[in-house]
Amino acid sequence: MSDLDRAIAQLRACRPIPESDVRELCHKAREILIEEGNVVTVNAPVTVICGDIHGQFHDLMELFRVGGDPPDTNYLFMGDFVDRGFYSLETFLLLLCLKVRYPDRMTLIRGNHESRQITTVYGFYDECYRKYGSANVWRYCCDVFDYLALGAIVLGASNTISPSAGESSIPTTPEGDEVEIEVCNAQGEVMSRFPRPNNGTNNDLQSRTNGIPPPSNTGPPGSGASGSSRGTVGNPAGAVLCVHGGLSPLIDKVDKIRLLDRKQEVPHEGAMCDLLWSDPDEIDGWGLSPRGAGFLFGADIVKVFNHRNDLSLIARAHQLVMEGFKEMFDASIVTVWSAPNYCYRCGNVAALLELSEDDSGLGVLARSNGDVNRSDGGGGGLGDSEPQPMKGPARRYRVFQAAPQDSRGMPAKKPVADYFL
Amino acid sequence: MDTKFKPPGPPAGSSSSSPTTLPALPKLEILNPSSTLPSHRFLRPAKRINEGLDVSQFLTSKAYRDIGVWILQLNHALVPRVIKKSPAAATASASTSSEPKTESTEEDKQPKAEEEPPKDALTAKLQSLHKKKDEQRPREEIRTFPLPKGDEVKEEEPESIQKLQRLLKKVEAIIDEAPPNPGPRRFGNVSFRTWHKILEQRAEGLLREYLPGGVLRWETGGGGEKKEGVKKKEEEEGWEEEGADTETEGDGSADSDKKTNEQKTQEVVGPLEELKAYFLGGFGSAQRLDYGTGHELSFMMFLGGLWKLGGFEGEENDEDGEVERRIVLGVVEPYLRVIRRLILTYTLEPAGSHGVWGLDDHSFIPYIFGSAQYTRPISSPNEPTPLEGSVPNAPKPGDITKPTAVERYRTENMYFSAIGFINDVKKGPFWEHSPILFDVSGIKDGWGKINKGMIKMFNAEVLSKFPVVQHFPFGSLFRWEQDPQAGTPVQSVHMQNQPVASSAAAAAVTGGVGIPTERPSGTAAPWAQTQAPGVASGGGPGTTAPWAQKPSSAPGPGGITGTAAPWARAPTQAPTQAPGAGAGMAPPMTAAPWARSSGAGAGAEVGPSAANRFTPYKPTGVPGGAPDTGPAPPESFRSGTPGTASNQFAVTKAPWAK
Repeated sequence: MSDLDRAIAQLRACRPIPESDVRELCHKAREILIEEGNVVTVNAPVTVICGDIHGQFHDLMELFRVGGDPPDTNYLFMGDFVDRGFYSLETFLLLLCLKVRYPDRMTLIRGNHESRQITTVYGFYDECYRKYGSANVWRYCCDVFDYLALGAIVLGASNTISPSAGESSIPTTPEGDEVEIEVCNAQGEVMSRFPRPNNGTNNDLQSRTNGIPPPSNTGPPGSGASGSSRGTVGNPAGAVLCVHGGLSPLIDKVDKIRLLDRKQEVPHEGAMCDLLWSDPDEIDGWGLSPRGAGFLFGADIVKVFNHRNDLSLIARAHQLVMEGFKEMFDASIVTVWSAPNYCYRCGNVAALLELSEDDSGLGVLARSNGDVNRSDGGGGGLGDSEPQPMKGPARRYRVFQAAPQDSRGMPAKKPVADYFL
Repeated sequence: MDTKFKPPGPPAGSSSSSPTTLPALPKLEILNPSSTLPSHRFLRPAKRINEGLDVSQFLTSKAYRDIGVWILQLNHALVPRVIKKSPAAATASASTSSEPKTESTEEDKQPKAEEEPPKDALTAKLQSLHKKKDEQRPREEIRTFPLPKGDEVKEEEPESIQKLQRLLKKVEAIIDEAPPNPGPRRFGNVSFRTWHKILEQRAEGLLREYLPGGVLRWETGGGGEKKEGVKKKEEEEGWEEEGADTETEGDGSADSDKKTNEQKTQEVVGPLEELKAYFLGGFGSAQRLDYGTGHELSFMMFLGGLWKLGGFEGEENDEDGEVERRIVLGVVEPYLRVIRRLILTYTLEPAGSHGVWGLDDHSFIPYIFGSAQYTRPISSPNEPTPLEGSVPNAPKPGDITKPTAVERYRTENMYFSAIGFINDVKKGPFWEHSPILFDVSGIKDGWGKINKGMIKMFNAEVLSKFPVVQHFPFGSLFRWEQDPQAGTPVQSVHMQNQPVASSAAAAAVTGGVGIPTERPSGTAAPWAQTQAPGVASGGGPGTTAPWAQKPSSAPGPGGITGTAAPWARAPTQAPTQAPGAGAGMAPPMTAAPWARSSGAGAGAEVGPSAANRFTPYKPTGVPGGAPDTGPAPPESFRSGTPGTASNQFAVTKAPWAK
């Protein structure tokens, strides 16, 4: 283990580890990942859910600073660790080291960029070649990609938000009101709170935001999120499904994901492809994706799926959101994006989603892998004729910006590509 | 490589003024209305590249040859010139309209760029030997070709250039009519769709008004043709919407697409329809709200089409690239300015961004032409573009990392102009957000070397990439037909990793497209410049074209490998290349474990070929993974309305997406 700790220390300093160590690390990682199901079950003692990283290593360090250092905090990364950024290699290897070192505290699921074909197009292959002079490390990593889980289910998240660590600049909500959504900045200060509306009502949301501009369907933070969450009604919190892209027309039950043979390159079509490529959109039903893979899916699809599977929320990544996160479709699905100032120019902030552990015993019961969709969620037995959203877990979004750059020294120029020889 | 290859165009008219016996460099053919009009039929440009495999065919097409010839022709025109003249004549040609900077250089006093110390010493020696004749020694002037100052239309430019400048002004002004939408958006601004719509509606009128007059005379021959063009207008608009730029996924099978394309290409159309496709293709995608090198290429070939139709005054008797220089400095750079404004106004996504691992988010052309502006001067119009060395007083390549230097040079040089734009929009260390450009800035052999590399990279990363060239349309000006002179394209890991129709086709890719074997020259570009031995030796006697030694695709340490440059200009100039050295030059690409070795064509391979193969993963035999071939999704399948997913910066598209 000391080897591993040394590797973690080296990678935390943003220095790649030797090729032989990568090989060994990837071997160990595969041994761990092969034991995981396609849908990993995660219990929620403060779980932080993160979206795309895309090789923005220094911003990942910022994320750890904001969310809490692993292994003290439970992390769940929803894929797209690599490509486009300068440090895909260091990013992925560090996350992999942490996974091997703390397998129960780190969950990594696969994104559409964790693929051989995509990484040869979007940069990770080039990066590995540049940093090692051969494609071996890229191959080791790609072999690990094939073993990454396709999704995760978070159980036991609390309906009520845990006290925030930082000082709140916002007075607590009037007693009796339950905070459903809390948005914090990188210093842990509460920027806004959104109480859980009473059953069936949602029009008092704006009056309780204490100086924050009233959320509307258009405004930040979380924009559509807060505005369109319209209050999830008061049922016990359901489980949260985490997946990189979204839903598939071939998957109506979470159990169907479990049946896939995932240990392969991401196919160009089919359920596994869709889970990693699809996007929610303001449409009815299914639509063609402009990406050329996966589908677009509308609110109706999400609501039926969540109801059928006793889910209260789908957390996904895959799309840049300027405000870092965006809830859609009455808070039945949220996009989390964790790469600030994406590609050095987008000017977006990043976010992570924190779910608290339920200590009241009233949250979703922990169930063993595979049982989730068969549970009634502890009382959510609504008539099939009248699908209503499950009461969502309390959500704290921590929003953060790109890491400062002053500490990064200029490296020596590398030999140029063959074109210039 | 066929050294007997003769460029299809007329021999450059400047051969008489050439002081040496160098053969003329290839130029893009100028169609002659009187001789070709009866037989020349314009065609409505149609998409031909429908899958990865088609790229190989494109690389042997006449259009590909023309693209290469055109880019190199423009590139060569920007290379600084040494003009030897007697002292009396020294002031004669001082003013030309493209504002060349003329520097009188007395060689011994002229500060030298670091790349050329030997010349200095040599001059000194010569001087001491010929002291007496010193006064009679011909003075040398070096003309460089900086960007003109300001962006207003230049009255001193020829009419064709002025018209194109006005055209670009009109295009830019549409921005005022389509202000960016202040509402919520993920990234790209939907108002760009409004902008683009207006452009499409006005394109024909704008082109009629601003195309150089010589081009429209091609229409007069066929009054009936024109009528038919109008009759077909409805259909034409449908085509523009579907084919010119948007992705064709989702509407109908590929077969029916092909059929309609063929039908359409059979109608009689005029030059306007053909040029319009390239013109409109040059301004980004309204559907995806993005802009990339494919669009840039389209605009370059719009200009190439104008050239072919004789649109620029004096191009037939062009002396030493004067017309081409005006095109680049007077039209291409203003075009890039419009594009940069569009990108900023509508936050256009880089089409298929590779993040930091691409050369630039949006552009390629300015790096080619900008490096040519600083390349070592040539002394004859027929002297090939130097492969190394810089013009005296050029900034060092390393200066691109210094913001102050970039600010200083961005108004005179296209390379620095492009870097300046990067600095405007990106935040963070330059070496981190632009590592390729950073590494290139460390090149010690001058701007000529950079220019050479940029051209090779352009071939591999732009012309050879399915996602980039898939939208390029083919008609009568740029033809899909095979060029009989074309060599065999080379495969690379990136190129091979392109969509194919089926696994059978995948086998065909690896098997059918041969990797150059014994031929040390590799695949030569059809526009290859014939080069007299020794001409390239300015930087050192005996230097051979460096890339002549790299016949096969070799992913370098930088990794951004692509196809081996097919335009090795002087394959015969690779004396150091042992026969069959291709095997020794093993493309460092290690064999991917999943690479299928295909029996077919294996005999044609040399050693490393297995390593150079990459069979794209295909789980099924179904074409390309376009959603419409997938399982039918349940109920209410909405056909491709532009989704919000496309309003997004750097959204990842499936490389196999059509």
